[in-house]
Amino acid sequence: MPETVELGFAVNGRPATVRVEPRETIADVLRERLGLTGLKVSCDAQVCGACTVLVDGLAVSGCTYLAIDADGRTVATVEGLATDDRLSPLQQAFIDEAAFQCGFCTPGMLMAATALLAENPTPTRDEVVAAIDGNLCRCTGYVPIVEAILRAAKAAR
Amino acid sequence: MIPRFAHARPGSFDEAFAAFDAAGGDAAWYAGGTELLQVMKMGLARFGTLIDLKGIAGLAGIAGDDAGGLVIGGTATHREIERSPVVHAVAPALAALAAQVANPRVRNQGTLGGNLCFAEPHSDPATFLLAAGARLDLRGRSGRREVAIDEFLVGPFATTRAADEILAAVLVPAAAPGEGRAYEKIVFRERPAVSVAVRVRVADGAIVEARVVVGSMTDVPAVVAGAGAALAGSSADGGIAEDSLTAAAEALARLPAEDDLDGSADYKRHLAGVLFRRAVRAAVSEALARA
Amino acid sequence: MIDPRDPGRSAVPSPIGERVPRRDGVAKVTGAARFTSDLAVPGMAVARVMRSPYAHARIRSVDTSAAREVPGVVAVVTAADLADVHLYYGHALADHPLIADGVVRFAGEPVVGVVAEDAITAAEALELVRVEYEPLPVVTTVEAALAPDAPVLHERAAEERPHRGFEERIERDHPNVCSTARQRWGDIAAAFDGADLVVEGTYRYPISYAFAMEPYTSIASWADGALTVWSSCQHPFMVRDDLARCFDLPQSRVRVIVPFVGGGYGSKSYTKIEPLTAALALRARRPVKLALSIDESILTTRGDGAVVRIASAFDLDGHLRGRRAEILLNTGAYAENSPLVGRKAANRIAGPYRIPAVDVTCRVVYTNTAPASSFRGFGAPQGNLAGESQIDEAAERLGLDPLELRRRNLVSPGESLWPGVRGMDADLDADVCLVAEQLDWWSPPAPGRGRAIGISASDAGSEPVTTSVVRVGADGSVTVTAGSTEIGQGSSTVLAQVAAGELGVQLERVEVLQSDTAAVSYDRSTGASRTTTLMGLAIAAAARDARDQLVGWARDTLAAAGGGVEETHGGVLADGTFHDWGAVVRAWFGGAYGEVIGRGYLRREGATAAMPPFWEIGCVGVEVSVDEETGRIRVERLVTVGDVGRAINPQLVESQDLGAAIMGMGMALGEELIWTEEGALLGGSMVDYRVPRASDIPAVTTLLAERGDGVGVYGAKGGGEGALNPVAAAVANAVRRATGVRLREAPFTPERVWRALRERDFGDG
Repeated sequence: MPETVELGFAVNGRPATVRVEPRETIADVLRERLGLTGLKVSCDAQVCGACTVLVDGLAVSGCTYLAIDADGRTVATVEGLATDDRLSPLQQAFIDEAAFQCGFCTPGMLMAATALLAENPTPTRDEVVAAIDGNLCRCTGYVPIVEAILRAAKAAR
Repeated sequence: MIPRFAHARPGSFDEAFAAFDAAGGDAAWYAGGTELLQVMKMGLARFGTLIDLKGIAGLAGIAGDDAGGLVIGGTATHREIERSPVVHAVAPALAALAAQVANPRVRNQGTLGGNLCFAEPHSDPATFLLAAGARLDLRGRSGRREVAIDEFLVGPFATTRAADEILAAVLVPAAAPGEGRAYEKIVFRERPAVSVAVRVRVADGAIVEARVVVGSMTDVPAVVAGAGAALAGSSADGGIAEDSLTAAAEALARLPAEDDLDGSADYKRHLAGVLFRRAVRAAVSEALARA
Repeated sequence: MIDPRDPGRSAVPSPIGERVPRRDGVAKVTGAARFTSDLAVPGMAVARVMRSPYAHARIRSVDTSAAREVPGVVAVVTAADLADVHLYYGHALADHPLIADGVVRFAGEPVVGVVAEDAITAAEALELVRVEYEPLPVVTTVEAALAPDAPVLHERAAEERPHRGFEERIERDHPNVCSTARQRWGDIAAAFDGADLVVEGTYRYPISYAFAMEPYTSIASWADGALTVWSSCQHPFMVRDDLARCFDLPQSRVRVIVPFVGGGYGSKSYTKIEPLTAALALRARRPVKLALSIDESILTTRGDGAVVRIASAFDLDGHLRGRRAEILLNTGAYAENSPLVGRKAANRIAGPYRIPAVDVTCRVVYTNTAPASSFRGFGAPQGNLAGESQIDEAAERLGLDPLELRRRNLVSPGESLWPGVRGMDADLDADVCLVAEQLDWWSPPAPGRGRAIGISASDAGSEPVTTSVVRVGADGSVTVTAGSTEIGQGSSTVLAQVAAGELGVQLERVEVLQSDTAAVSYDRSTGASRTTTLMGLAIAAAARDARDQLVGWARDTLAAAGGGVEETHGGVLADGTFHDWGAVVRAWFGGAYGEVIGRGYLRREGATAAMPPFWEIGCVGVEVSVDEETGRIRVERLVTVGDVGRAINPQLVESQDLGAAIMGMGMALGEELIWTEEGALLGGSMVDYRVPRASDIPAVTTLLAERGDGVGVYGAKGGGEGALNPVAAAVANAVRRATGVRLREAPFTPERVWRALRERDFGDG
C-alpha cells in the first residue's frame, strides 16, 4: 500500500481534509479529490500559469506544488472568487472587457490578478503586465485581460 | 507525473539527518521543489524519499551580518529576497535579479538555496553570486563548513555538496567602499540565453579590480579572468576607456559556447559582449556612488 | 411584448450588431465551465501511451507480459490486439493508423496503450513494457525526403477519402509526396519574358505548434455495441464518421459530444486520438479517458512548415504580369489535413492581386516528424510571407510606395482572382487605405522604426454543408441546435444572436444546444472561419422555416375565415391583432403546450453555389523597432481590419482579429519547432516553444469594415484567421524599412536579424 498522509487545509475559506500520497500535487488534489476543476493543467512545466493557485495568498504553479506542502495553509481557487453567487469585481471586469475566449487560461489569469490586486490595489499598466507575464493566453492577445484588471482595480476604488 | 516517494518533514537539522539515514540515503532535500519536482516529473531523477526543509527554522530568513554582508537562509524564496530591505541595502543588484527570475510563481515558491544546489547552468543567482564572491554555509552531521561559491559549482547540475549536506545559508559579502555590482541578462525563451555579472571596485576614479562572470553559456557560470584583468587600471570617472572595454570583450569572445535553441555559439558570444558593456556601466555607476 | 409605438410589432430590439456579453462568460470566469479534461464518467479507467523513441523503425517485438500483471492494470493494447478494428483513418488519405502498425514513422508515435485504474498505475505499468525496434533511415526535411534515394515512408498508397476538401485526385510524383496541388492560368512564359522587373526569392516559414492550452483529451464509452466519445475536438461529425468507419458502426450508433474546447485554432480539426481512445475502451470493456500532456500534444499535431521559391514579374508601372511559385510543405509522418492545406497554399499565394498569369505548384511532403495538419491560416501564411515580401521588394526597385503598388494590383469588388471562383466580396483597396490611415502611413516614423502593410485573401468557408434546427416552444422561447463547437470564438453567443434577430425574440429567451452528434443535426465542421456565416445561414433558414409554418398555423387557428394573417417582427398580425410566436404555437396545439420545428439546410445552391462561400480577408499594418545590438525585433504598433461584411457581434470579431494577429506575430518572431537530423524534436515543451506573452504586445488598434458584402446573414462573412496571414511579411517589410535588411526566414529570431545586420554592415553573416 502506498504511503498516505492526511492533510487539512482551508480551500476558499472552508476546511478540507483529504488523505493523499506525497506525490500528489495540489492540482491533482483540487481537481480530482475535491471536484474543483476550475484550475487547469496545461504545460505542466510551470511556464503557462493555467494552474495558478494561491497558497497563503501567494501564486504558485499547482502542477508542481505538492499538496502536502499546503497542509495547514489557506488555498484559494477561482471557485472562491464569487461570493453568494455574486461575481467579484475582477470576474465582472473579465466579462465586461471580454477578457477570455476559450477560457482555459482564465482561472489562472484570475488568480494571478487576484494576487496582484491584493498586494497592489492600484497597479500601473506596466505592473499589471509584469504580474501576468508568466500567464500565457493563446486566444486573446492579452489586451482585454490587462484592461479588465485595470478596470477591476478602478472599480474597487 | 511525479513518481511515488515517501515524505518527511523534520523540524531540526538533527531530525533531518535522521530522516536521511532512515531513507538509506535514497533521499533528496527540497524546499520550493520547482526544479526538483520538475525533473522528477520528466523522469530524469527519482528518489525514494523527499525531505522537506521548510520546517527547519534555522534555514529561513534573511539578515545582515556583522561585517555588513548578507546571510540568506537556504529556504529564503526569490520573492523574499526581492522584497528584503536588507538585501536592497547591501546588494540591490541581487534584489533586482531576484525580481526577474523565471516568473512570479517560481519566485514565490522557489528558493535561492534550491537554485544553487540544483546548479542549472542558466541560473541567474549563481552567475551574480560568483561575481560577488559569495560563500556557502553547508551543514552536515559533523557540523558546519563554509565553501566559496567558486568551489561549490563544479559542473552542470553538479556541486560539491555531499548528498546529505544541507545548504544552510548563502553569505553575500558587503559591497566594499567604491564597489559596485551589476547583472544583465537576455532571455528569449524561459531561461536566460546569456547573462553577465560584473563586480568592480573603483578608487581615485579608476577601476582597481574587476570580476566578470558570464552565465548560461557554459556548464557552470564562468569567471572570465581576461575581462577582469583588462578592466583593472581603466579610468572609471567620465566613462570607461574604450580600449579596456575592447580588450575585455576580446576575452569574452574566446569563451567556449555551444549552439543551442537560444542561438549559435558566435551569436551568444556577441551577446555576452553586449551585456558586458551594459553591466560594466551599471556596476561602475554604483561603484562611483559608493566611493 | 408589444411595441407601444406600433402595436403590430414586437418591441424586442434586435441583437444583431450588438456587443452582447458572451454567454459562456460566467461559466468561464467562475471555473464552472467544463472542458473534456474536466469530465469523468462512472466506471472510467485511465489510459497512458508509450511512444516510439525512434523517428523511423520497424517494430520487431513488443513484450507487454509484465505490464499486464501489474495490479490495477485493466488492458494493455497494441495493434496486434485490434484485429477487429480498421486501424487506418484520415479524412483525406486514410494513411494514419490509430496506433503504430508494425512500423513507426515519427518519434512520439503511439506504440502501446495501457489502461489502468489510475494514471500512476498506468505510468508504472508502461515502464515494464519492452519494445524492440529495428531503426530505419530517417528524413526530417523536405529536401532530404525528396532525394532520389530517400527512404520511403508510406510504401502502400493510402485510400483517398471523400472529405479531403477538394475534388481532384491526389497527385504525387515521388513516393514521399503526400499530395500535389497546382494553380495555373494565363501564359506564364510570356508574362516573364516581357517583364520590366522580375523579383525572385526563397522564403521559409516555420514548423509551428498551435498550443491550444487544453491538451488533446478524449473519453470513450461503449454500451450495447454503441460508442459515445467526449472529445476536445472541433468537428464532432467528422470524428463520428471516422469512428464509425474504424469500428464498422452505423454513424447513428456513434455519438460524439464536445463540451467547451480549450483552444483549437485548427489543430483540433478532424480526428486525432478518438479512435485510439475508443480502441482502448473496447479492449478494456470500461469507459476510458485518454488525456495527453502538452508535450504529447506537440507530437500529435503541428503546423506545416514551408519552403517557398517564388518569382513575380512586373511592368514598369507596377502592374503584376505573372507569379511563379514552388511551395514545399513539410507535413510530417501522416497526411492528416495537409493535402487540403497544400491546395489552399497553392490558391492563396496568387492573391489578392490581379495576376494575368500564374504557375504555382505545392507539394506536400512526408517526413519522419510529428504529423502536420490544419492550423490557422491554412497555407495562406506560408505563401503570404513570400508574396507580400515580394510586393515590397518590387516597390523598392520600382521606386513606388508599397501601398500604392498594392493599390494598383488589388482586385476590385466583384472581380475573380482566378477563373471560376466567386468574385471578390470585399473592397480590398478600402481595407488597405483604412490600415494606412490608422498607421499614419504618410508621415515618417520615428528614427529606427519602420512600417508595413500586408494583405491576404483566402478562399475560406470550406464547404457550405450544414443544417440547423430551430424550435419555438409554447412560451415563445427558442431552442437552436447547431453542430458548431465553442472553441473560444464565441459561437455560443453569435448563433443565439442570429436566431434572436431572425425570430424577433429576446436574446435571453434563446438557448443554443451545440456539438453533440446525437442531439443536433449535421454540420460539416467548425473551422475555415465558417461558423457565423454558414451556420448563421442555416439558422436563418431554420428560423424562416419555423416562421413559415407558424404563419400557416396562425392562418388556421387565429384568423377568422377569410381574415388576414401577416407576418411581422416577432410574431403575426391576425385580423389586426398581434400574437407572438408562443401564442401561435399554443393556438395550433390547442392548449398550453407544443412546439414548432424549423429546419434549415445549406448546400451549394443559390447564394452559396459559388465557391468559395466567401473570401476571408486579412489586412494588417505594423510598426517595428529593432535593437541592432541584439537583433531583437519589437512590434510597436499593430493595426488590423476585420472586413467581415457585417459584425453580428463586433466584440467577437475584434477579439478574433487581435488573437490571430498576435499568433501570427508569434510565428514571425520566435515560434519554431526544430527536429534534429536523427528525427528528435529539440525542446518539445513550452519551456522552449516561445509564444507571445503580455509584455510582447504592441499598441493595438482593431478596426471593423462592414460593407454588407458577404453571403451570410445581414451580409456577414467569416473572420478569425485572416489577421494572422499577413503578419510575418508585414514584420519583414517593416524591418527592411527600419534597417535595410531583408529577412526571408521566419521566425525572425534575434540571431537571424543580427546576422542580416552584419551582412549589411560587413558583408558577412
